[in-house]
Amino acid sequence: MSQRIKVIQLYKTLLYMGRDYPKGYEYFRTKLRRAFDKNKTETDPEKIDKMIGHGNFVIKELEALYMLRKYRTLKRRYYD
Amino acid sequence: MASLTCARLLARNVGCLRNSINGRLRCASSTFIHVTSRDEQRLLHCIARTTLVPQVKCNRGYCQDVRAKPKSIKDIEERVLKAVAAYNKDIEEKGLKDTRIKQVRHYSHAPPLSLDLIGQRVLLVLKLYDKVETAKLSLESHFMDDLGLDSLDHVEIIMAMEDEFGFEIPDTDAQRLLRPKDIVRYIADKNDVYE
Repeated sequence: MSQRIKVIQLYKTLLYMGRDYPKGYEYFRTKLRRAFDKNKTETDPEKIDKMIGHGNFVIKELEALYMLRKYRTLKRRYYD
Repeated sequence: MASLTCARLLARNVGCLRNSINGRLRCASSTFIHVTSRDEQRLLHCIARTTLVPQVKCNRGYCQDVRAKPKSIKDIEERVLKAVAAYNKDIEEKGLKDTRIKQVRHYSHAPPLSLDLIGQRVLLVLKLYDKVETAKLSLESHFMDDLGLDSLDHVEIIMAMEDEFGFEIPDTDAQRLLRPKDIVRYIADKNDVYE
C-alpha cells in the first residue's frame, strides 16, 4: 500500500472518530485539517511513516478517551 | 457454666434424634402399607395431569368473559363515540383547541431513485460543503482541477456522499470518483438505476 493511500485512510478514520469529539465535530475537523496541512510538503518517506504512526497513536488515544467517557457516564448514572 | 449448656444441648439433640427415628419408623410402616396403592395413585396422577392441563388453559378469566358477553360492534362504536363527544365538549368548555400533536408517519420504501434525482442530491451535498464554490459547480467539474480542492477535501466529500446515500464507498473506488458525474454513475450502479 502506498503512503498516499495510507494517509488518506488515516484522515478518513480520524474524521470518523471525530464525530463524537466532546468539543464538537467542527472543532475537531479544523484542527485535524491544520495538522495535515502543516506537513503536506513532506517528501521524506521515513518521516511520513513516523507521522502516520503518530496518527495511529492519536486514533488509539481517541478510542481511550471515548471509553473513559462512556465509563464515567455509566458510573455517574449508577452512583451519583 | 459451659458444661451446663453442653448438657442441655446434648439432651435436646437426643430428643431430636429420638423424634426423627420415630418419625422414620412411622414413615416406613406407612410406605409398607401403601405400597400397593401408590402405583395406582401414580397412574391416577398421570391421568389427572393430562386431563387437567387443557382445563387450566380454558380457565383464564378474561377469555371466558369475552366469550360470555359478546358485544356487537354497534355497542362498542356507540360507547366510543360517546366518550369522544364528552371529551370534545370538555375541551371546548375550557376554551382549548385540539392539543394533540398532529403526527403523520410514513412507513414506506425510499423514494425511487433516478439519475436526475441522484444528480440533484449529489449537487446539493456539494453545495452544502463549505469549500466548494457554487458558481463553478456543475456535474462536469473536476474536484481538483476546476474546484481547487485537495485530496483531503475529496475524502470529506466522499464521506458526505456515504452519509447521504447510506452505503460505504471503499477507498479504491473513491479514488476514481473525481467528478460529480462519476459519483452519480457510481451510486446509480450500486443501486441498479439505469435511466
